Amino acid sequence: MSKIFTGRDGSLLLSGQALAKVSNWTLQGELETLETTTLGDSQRTYTPGIQGFNGSASLLYYKSDAGVNDAGTLLRKIIKTDGVSTSDIVSLTLRLSDGATTNDVTINAYITSVSIGATVGDVSRAEISFQVTGAPTTVTI
Amino acid sequence: MAFPSLSPTARAFEPGDWPVRTYEALSGAEVRIRYGNKRTGAKLSLSYDNITDTQAQEFLTHYIDTQGTFIAFNVPAAIRTGWTGASNAFDPGSTGALYRYAQAPQVTAVRPGVSTVQVELVGVV
Repeated sequence: MSKIFTGRDGSLLLSGQALAKVSNWTLQGELETLETTTLGDSQRTYTPGIQGFNGSASLLYYKSDAGVNDAGTLLRKIIKTDGVSTSDIVSLTLRLSDGATTNDVTINAYITSVSIGATVGDVSRAEISFQVTGAPTTVTI
Repeated sequence: MAFPSLSPTARAFEPGDWPVRTYEALSGAEVRIRYGNKRTGAKLSLSYDNITDTQAQEFLTHYIDTQGTFIAFNVPAAIRTGWTGASNAFDPGSTGALYRYAQAPQVTAVRPGVSTVQVELVGVV
């Protein structure tokens, strides 16, 4: 059955658990190309180089009834007193759901930037950016 | 093993010279004496960008086979790829001249499985 995916179908999971109050996520993939054009060629040729992925997400700064603050969990991966280490790598799953079928990209990433503030008449929102380290661990998107 | 028959990414060539000694008088007049009838000292710089490590290994193997800068050799027609002039344009010198390595090939790793090689050759009789 055909389906047009919308924001309603999207979700963001941290270590397999869905994050609450996510308003958007993005994922970018890039491939470096290495030129292999030689003398005598009339058109350029390339060989694949290194891949890279990065993305962003926007979450409401929201605390659940159980006291869980998902935005705070991600913010503390970069806003911390003792520096960032490899233990701050997060496993994120960017998902588009079609009923029981999930279309996922699961990646390990460092949170590389955060932005949060408080404005009169507006909800507090955390904007995060992440840099993927290594290859995606799951790709079913 | 022969010099690798790969098309280079870039090529730079200097044809060398005959063995000439130049004397300049106080008047400014120049006297040149040629001590030989063979052109030598041609320089050929070749770069091979983003080739496979296996192809890069061929240059290292050939360098070892020629005992570095010791043994001179012929170069394949592939080094003339893209040249539409005469086929002898990049000869290392007069008849009988060959190329030898001016220095060891430089192999630079670009990414796993991909390397760039820079080769410097000089023509000798």
